[in-house]
Amino acid sequence: MYEIDQSLLPRIDALELSERNKAWRKAMKAAPWKVYVDRERLTVESWKETEGEDLEIRIAKMLKKVMDNVPIKIHEFDEIVGRPTPGVIGCQTAINVCGDYIHDIWNDDGIIGVTLDASAVLTREELEVLREAVRIFEPICMPSNTYTAWRELVGTWAEDAEAAKLKDPGLQNGITGQSTSTLDWPNILPAGLKTYIERCQQHIDAYIAQGGTDVNKVYFWKAAIICLQATIDHSKRYAKLAREMAAETADEAEKARLIRIAETCEYVPENPPRTFHEALQFMEMCSLAKMFENPMQNNSHWGRADQYLYPYFKNDLANGVPLEEIASDLADMIGRWGTQTFVSDDMNKETHQINFGINNVMVGGLGQDHTDMSNELSYLILHVVACLKLSSPTVGLRWNEQTPDWLMNKAIRTNMDTRGGIPLFQNDHIMIQRYIDYGIPYEEACEWRGLGCVYPCLPNRAEHYGAEGVAAFNLAGLLHVTLHNGIDINGKRTGLETGDPRSFKTFEELYDAFFKQHKAFIYRVFWLGAVARDICHQYTRTPLLSILGIEASMDLGQDLTKAHPDYSMFGISDRAIIDVADSLLAVKHLVYDDKVLTMDELMEALDSNFAGERGEEIRQMCLHQPKYGNDIKEADDMVKRVSDESARIIYSYNNAPFRNMIISREGLAWHYFGGLGAGALPNGRPALEPLNDGSLSPMRGADKNGPTAVLLSAISSGYSDVCCSAVLNQKFNSSLLKSEESIDKLVAYTNAFMKNHGSHIQYNIMDTEQLKDAKANPEKYPDLIVRIGGFSAYFVQLSSGIQDDVIYRSEFEL
Amino acid sequence: MSNAIVTNIQGYSIHDGPGIRTVVFLKGCPLRCKWCANPENLEASVQIGFLSNLCTGCGRCKKVCPHDAILSDGARRIDREKCRRCGTCAEACYYGALVRYGEDRSSEEVFEKVRRDKIFYESSGGGVTVSGGEPLTHAQFVAELFELCRQDGINTCVETCGCVPGAAMELVAPLTDTFYFDLKIMDPQLHRKYTGVDNAQILENARFLAGKGANILFRQPIIPSVNNTEENVRATAEFIKSLGREDLAIQLMPYHRMGTAKYAALDMTYELEELKIMSAAEIDALEALYKKLGVQCTVSR
Repeated sequence: MYEIDQSLLPRIDALELSERNKAWRKAMKAAPWKVYVDRERLTVESWKETEGEDLEIRIAKMLKKVMDNVPIKIHEFDEIVGRPTPGVIGCQTAINVCGDYIHDIWNDDGIIGVTLDASAVLTREELEVLREAVRIFEPICMPSNTYTAWRELVGTWAEDAEAAKLKDPGLQNGITGQSTSTLDWPNILPAGLKTYIERCQQHIDAYIAQGGTDVNKVYFWKAAIICLQATIDHSKRYAKLAREMAAETADEAEKARLIRIAETCEYVPENPPRTFHEALQFMEMCSLAKMFENPMQNNSHWGRADQYLYPYFKNDLANGVPLEEIASDLADMIGRWGTQTFVSDDMNKETHQINFGINNVMVGGLGQDHTDMSNELSYLILHVVACLKLSSPTVGLRWNEQTPDWLMNKAIRTNMDTRGGIPLFQNDHIMIQRYIDYGIPYEEACEWRGLGCVYPCLPNRAEHYGAEGVAAFNLAGLLHVTLHNGIDINGKRTGLETGDPRSFKTFEELYDAFFKQHKAFIYRVFWLGAVARDICHQYTRTPLLSILGIEASMDLGQDLTKAHPDYSMFGISDRAIIDVADSLLAVKHLVYDDKVLTMDELMEALDSNFAGERGEEIRQMCLHQPKYGNDIKEADDMVKRVSDESARIIYSYNNAPFRNMIISREGLAWHYFGGLGAGALPNGRPALEPLNDGSLSPMRGADKNGPTAVLLSAISSGYSDVCCSAVLNQKFNSSLLKSEESIDKLVAYTNAFMKNHGSHIQYNIMDTEQLKDAKANPEKYPDLIVRIGGFSAYFVQLSSGIQDDVIYRSEFEL
Repeated sequence: MSNAIVTNIQGYSIHDGPGIRTVVFLKGCPLRCKWCANPENLEASVQIGFLSNLCTGCGRCKKVCPHDAILSDGARRIDREKCRRCGTCAEACYYGALVRYGEDRSSEEVFEKVRRDKIFYESSGGGVTVSGGEPLTHAQFVAELFELCRQDGINTCVETCGCVPGAAMELVAPLTDTFYFDLKIMDPQLHRKYTGVDNAQILENARFLAGKGANILFRQPIIPSVNNTEENVRATAEFIKSLGREDLAIQLMPYHRMGTAKYAALDMTYELEELKIMSAAEIDALEALYKKLGVQCTVSR
């Protein structure tokens, strides 16, 4: 626990964005979104130059080539320098890691999709650079080789399961080689990169002196040194450019700004930072290096920034650095990493629906001494995020019994300002307990932070979530498969033959058939993931990420793409549990208990997508069965039963020699994608429509007993006992949240949920009318942010269907 | 154990007393205020409402009605002469177009529902609020409910129009943490004109509660052209001051028309339809006047 200077809080509340923050914002909004091919041009060049060398070394040299030569720019509003591209908003490509993942490059129009509803145009020559890179790297990259291996083992099953949306197609859209959590900021910053270089060299010297025979270790340390030096040198390129610009200007203030940039970039990241400003410049260069190594790793992942940056913050204040200056630097960096774009194809857009790469920042939370570590910097981070009104970063507040009221109150106010669930609230106790159950000591578990949306990770551990094609699987799709005796939505046999449901005599037969499908499916996905894991290291290396992300990499001389029982972590998300539980309960009532329908009648209605008068009548009967989200015991018990059983099966898979899978039930905007994998369901949802959002939100329109009933159902679901994270979205009407008192009441409401074992909650605060207007007149609402299952997004950039979804989500009148 | 006709139990209510509250709406009211926003709570017995905009014309109601009380066309769906208010049609209606206002519930049943939100009361200092209608037309029921709440540490609050026998007040006063007490119009004739009864009993009860030292927040719906006059404000302020307690305040409730759809649903006529909504400035002026007259005043927005 820190001693808080309470007088600082009102001073923070009074802060506004600085002039340079505003100048950046203006430039960012005016700039065309661009895809730059500079990195890929250089990776190809480097690859040709290093033919015959070791893979680890080749990849390190590739990074060096890129960082030594990629175009750089210092903008007139920059105090901290360094961007992935010379433009204020733009992205580089990752073809050498992900292969042929940018499907748009094969069209001659040159239009490349960039995150949501945005695109960039490439010239013919630029297109050719990317195509050339694909011709070189596609045969030797992880995704293509993984699919080849999978075909060898199971034919086209993996592709069929992905086409039926039963599992996520992560490898196809560039989610690979990103098996780390956050950089080890608390250790890197006080050491400086030169210390890391020295330590690598010491390892090399010692290993050779002791007669070590594994040359791969030496290659790793050498590769790490190349990458670290490249990062330092990249910073010095900025220093040199700043000095050149300073020499050319007559304006004294401008000269001073540039000299300061030069001096800072000459000092960090080689040396440990002395000030908050230097610390951020340090982080900027390391984050850039991480991005250049794999641009699909397009985020800096700050983790617990309010902890490791706190000493610099306090020191600066003590030394008389104006609070305004600290806030301005912070806003600059949060804004910059909140607006990283990436190349994104249609499939990625369907599964993710996000505007920008996700930088996850945590505030508050328990520390080593079991006390809450919230401080003035946590407060400042929230304030800056509220001022910026961007959809990213994702900010998570680690709620625990000691979280102070002043931080909770600020957090709800920040939600009001951003309108988009920033910050979201996650239960510290539950997260830490899940890790302890997983065999992680408290001292390590208490340092958890978010990776992306709500998926948690630990420092110095390699997180394989999604990186091997194991990320999310679709329980609603599997229910469809079960109801059709193993045939999926596309008519392919991706499931087992568990029998025609018309032949099931009891509800339990149906239930058992579903979990037979579940177990067979998940075991196969895990098996294929294990195959992908081996293939990954054959083709992908990330020396920079390894050396700055995983302490053990340094000691072992090993790249993190090679899994290791000590540091590798594996996760999966079993999604659409609520859809399945509501559906199963409806079948139980209608067919088996009340016998108002035969299974044949029900199946006919589902297969016809509730067509005709009778179909509609059956749909209404389905909709009127008890639903989760109303504090109805029977419905909540079914959710708990499905949730527990799904978790039991996942945890029963033996992943030796590695740790077993950990379960995270996040949402993204996946419910839209997942919905395409299921025909009409017995909960009354028509075919192909979105599933329930988040992972703990009730069916759309089904929560009729008010917001507290939803929370009580969520508590009864028992998710907190079996998975480490879940997503519950709630939408509140802004017009009724105006008074001080109503903000305090929302704080109390959140506290009540968390105290009683709620794991996660996030709020959308808005008016339905406002959303409808925003849909009709997007130009009036460029800044309106909404929250969908773990991510915030600009409302006007969402697809029409998702917009309707947000509007439709039942709105609670306070 | 007493029963009452309950129309709604609403969780996460944050404008009806301290903290997060659950509001229990009871049916039946001795007043007939022309601006009433909850017309479904006026009559003491169960009623069937019809929300025409939700009707798909599927005809299920007509099939299930045991009394042949469903009309097939026109804006009305219920033959009020024939309807026995059994609610069969509302149960059958998939679209929520036919609704049954009122369920017969025991105080214990209601308590069980209220108690479910206890975690929210504990974190916010909230509790239960009974409203209506006039909840104290069910004084025995309220007393039993509050007794159970008290035993469980749940805060209790009554929203009352004040127009009930003194015995009802006496019964619930010792079990009530806060009274939200309406002072609508001070002039007895005007009060009778707009609410159907004069205000003698109401003022009597207000004096009684104030004398008992009860925790009271007076409330005044501000109805344009009815009671938004300086004269009424002065008379109200005078009355509050006459109670001789410094802590007594009044909260102004600006007129709204949210309830009009429910009049149509019940085939009732909303007589005040033409009223102009008051501006924030006009409301502020009334608030200022109260304060000038020495009465604490807030506005519910």
